[in-house]
Amino acid sequence: MRTVTWILRILSTAAFIGMCLLVYQTMSGYWDWDAPYIFIVTIFRLISMVLFFIGSLVMAGLVAPFTGFAVGDTLVGLYNTQLLKMWYMQPFGVSGPFTSVNQIFSTFFANLGPIWFIISEYSFTFIYFLGAALGIAFFLQSLFRMEHKFVGGAFLSIQSILIVAAYRMIAVPDFQNGFPADFIFFLGHAVQILALVSFAYLEISYQMIYSNSVGKPVEERENTLKKQLLALRHTTRKQDTIDRGEKISTTAMSRTTGATAFSFLREAIERRVFGESEVIESLDAVADVRRLQIFVDDLLLTDPNARDELTARAAAPSEGYVISSTIIGSVIRFVGILTISFVFMNPVFFTALFNLPPGVENSVELQQPELVVFFMVPILFLFVLIAMVIGWITAREVPDKPKLTREEKEKEKVRKKELARKRKEAKKARQARDRARRKRKDLGEVEDEWDRALEETYRA
Amino acid sequence: MITQRGFVVIFSGVLLLTSGFSFNNFYLVLIGVYLCVGLVVTLPLFAMTANISGIEVDRQIDKVKVFSGDFLRVRVTIRNTSRRHFDFIEVHDQYPELWLLAIGANFIASRIEPGGSITFSYILQVRMRGKYYLGPTEVIMRDRLGLHYYKRTLKEETEVLVYPTWKDVRRLEALGKQRQLGLMFGAHRTKVIGMGTDFTGFREYVPGDSFRNIDWKVSAKRGDMVVRQYEMEKNIQIVCMVDTSGSMGNGYPENTKLEYAIRAAVLLTHMGLERKDLVGTCVFSDVVHAYVQPSTNPNHMFNVLESLAIAEPKGWSDYETAISYVTRQTKKRSFIIWLTDLEESPAPLLNAMKSVVANGHKATVISPFGPWFEAPVGQFGPVEKVLSEAVSEELWERRQKITRALARFGINVVNVGPEDFLPTIIKQYENAKQMGVARF
Repeated sequence: MRTVTWILRILSTAAFIGMCLLVYQTMSGYWDWDAPYIFIVTIFRLISMVLFFIGSLVMAGLVAPFTGFAVGDTLVGLYNTQLLKMWYMQPFGVSGPFTSVNQIFSTFFANLGPIWFIISEYSFTFIYFLGAALGIAFFLQSLFRMEHKFVGGAFLSIQSILIVAAYRMIAVPDFQNGFPADFIFFLGHAVQILALVSFAYLEISYQMIYSNSVGKPVEERENTLKKQLLALRHTTRKQDTIDRGEKISTTAMSRTTGATAFSFLREAIERRVFGESEVIESLDAVADVRRLQIFVDDLLLTDPNARDELTARAAAPSEGYVISSTIIGSVIRFVGILTISFVFMNPVFFTALFNLPPGVENSVELQQPELVVFFMVPILFLFVLIAMVIGWITAREVPDKPKLTREEKEKEKVRKKELARKRKEAKKARQARDRARRKRKDLGEVEDEWDRALEETYRA
Repeated sequence: MITQRGFVVIFSGVLLLTSGFSFNNFYLVLIGVYLCVGLVVTLPLFAMTANISGIEVDRQIDKVKVFSGDFLRVRVTIRNTSRRHFDFIEVHDQYPELWLLAIGANFIASRIEPGGSITFSYILQVRMRGKYYLGPTEVIMRDRLGLHYYKRTLKEETEVLVYPTWKDVRRLEALGKQRQLGLMFGAHRTKVIGMGTDFTGFREYVPGDSFRNIDWKVSAKRGDMVVRQYEMEKNIQIVCMVDTSGSMGNGYPENTKLEYAIRAAVLLTHMGLERKDLVGTCVFSDVVHAYVQPSTNPNHMFNVLESLAIAEPKGWSDYETAISYVTRQTKKRSFIIWLTDLEESPAPLLNAMKSVVANGHKATVISPFGPWFEAPVGQFGPVEKVLSEAVSEELWERRQKITRALARFGINVVNVGPEDFLPTIIKQYENAKQMGVARF
């Protein structure tokens, strides 16, 4: 399965690169590489300004009783030497050491226009870069971690660039004259190619995760079993060495692998070290590990299939089948999606089906993207409905077998009856004994209940 | 059923669709439509293939009755009896929480072809005696992209009876082997001098002795009449009364009074069988739950183990009912060993003991003392410490009274804690053998 996963990994990478390239080309002219730096620097300088403003206000308040309300050079000097040392950043609109607070504020207010422009202009470019960076990071994670969330994250991050661009009225691929009526034109259009490549990335990545999750458990099982058996043998051998009174050499590696190989061994080791009644616990733990070793050795010796069953090697699906089913499944899905989407997004089909009057047929509303909702929602629910009907017809749930067979039920009944009879008899006997005891109550002045009981017993 | 990631796909689709509507952009609408259609387009196909009733799970275990602490291999076979393949199937086979997964994993994820099967196995360490069930098995079927799933729980369960631990017996045997003295090490044969064929020694002649027993050679040497003495080995009969009342369940989970009592009963039965003595076991609380009569039957040990395996700490101790049941069933004179915490009112206990003595049996009480089985006093705070010590003292005083009261019937009470429970039962048995109590 590893080969299939690697092939799909390469295909997924190709699809991701394709998607990124198309998005990059679509947005060409908007990738200002200085934008992230300028945006971040502006934001930090703004923060610096705010901090300066707050700082000077507080300090002015504090020094006002001594120096009057004017903010003096002391404050500016303090800011220059103490605060800027930490920030390494001048307040916005100031370059080099400054001496006049009022000058700073006036410069800042004079620069408010450019500040706003920088923020509004560069923040969107910054978001494009952020989306791209996140997309690449998620994509790389998905290749190694094989989790759906990373694939989804990469896809959405890259798409978010186009969403933001569309908001900014940037030329995101679009059908200029409404949705095309020609299927071939639709297939070759830039919009379709970008959408198809993006969808292909999702599809291939999900197939890659499938291939990995079907093949990996078996591989992991095999590796885990190997490690477990090795750790078990190592621990038993070590114990033998201790028993013989010889010195054992342990490396940091052997200690960690031995302890973390599997929970059973870990628990046994912990029991040996931290057991309450140390000697007995230690004996138990050692005996358990040794018995497990004997049990496994015996099992592997007597049953030739034991190892394969423990690793579930036979459960691994054939690579050829996974490849062929992946190709067939993906092709079916692509063809299905393309045709279904085209049918219910195409206004021609809509007008032909409902035989609309020319006024409606030529209306602007029919050229709007919202038209898709008319068909999409019912068709989507139709698929769900069909699946549900199939589910009902195929009677997915078989009735569970009763927990107890008839004989077992009878047996249980007899057991309960017998217990009830025993209880009844015991109760009767107890009552009789109590009655007899009550008759012999006049024992005089015996304080202790045990003495009283003893007296009673002797008298009986 | 749509999975969590299926919902994420829907939300992404809706986000792109609404963005497309807002910004009047066909690309965003198209990709949104692709996501929404992609989610449901294969749903009917998946519903057709994922006929989960076509899945059969067969669980096999090497043994259905095992000792606590033993290892058990569980083999699980999943068969696809339908005509469709299952793209992605996850199987979780459940096992009792107390048990330990020693080797392998109780989980598999794979695909199954029509008519195909997959088998996996794992090794468990069985813990705590009792009746347990392996299963149910949870089967989850997903589509390739993991957007939809069907789940089914197959309730086929495999019953496993877990006998009390055998480690004490193993330890005893190991000790015997280590000292190279065999099984009879420390054991004393019950001998009846005067009968039998085993020569034991000489003694002076007393009138009435048979002339045949006079050893003339030795008499000539000593100058006095000496007779040969012979001995015969006799075995004893023991009945072990295991109290399973609610109070016996106190203590640390795997180290309750009842667990120790059961381990003691197993050890006693094993020792008895090894030395050809008859050992019976009665499990009782307010009723007699099980009584295995003293016997040397080869299956006797397993009968005892089964009766002890299912014992639960429940109800209260009715000594009178228990002893009247045992004396009705066992006519021969027996040595009765009570394994009880004596936490019931005095009158019925004394009556029961009286009944034991009246029926000609001998008895001893090995009684686990509650506070010794609870958390160590060192773990308590100052208030709890004082309280526990006060309670402990009160209980101890009560114990002394019981001991004094039972001593009047010639019944010995031995108070035991977790450390000396098993040594005490061995000692009591050896004493009984030595003294020849309840010979048959």
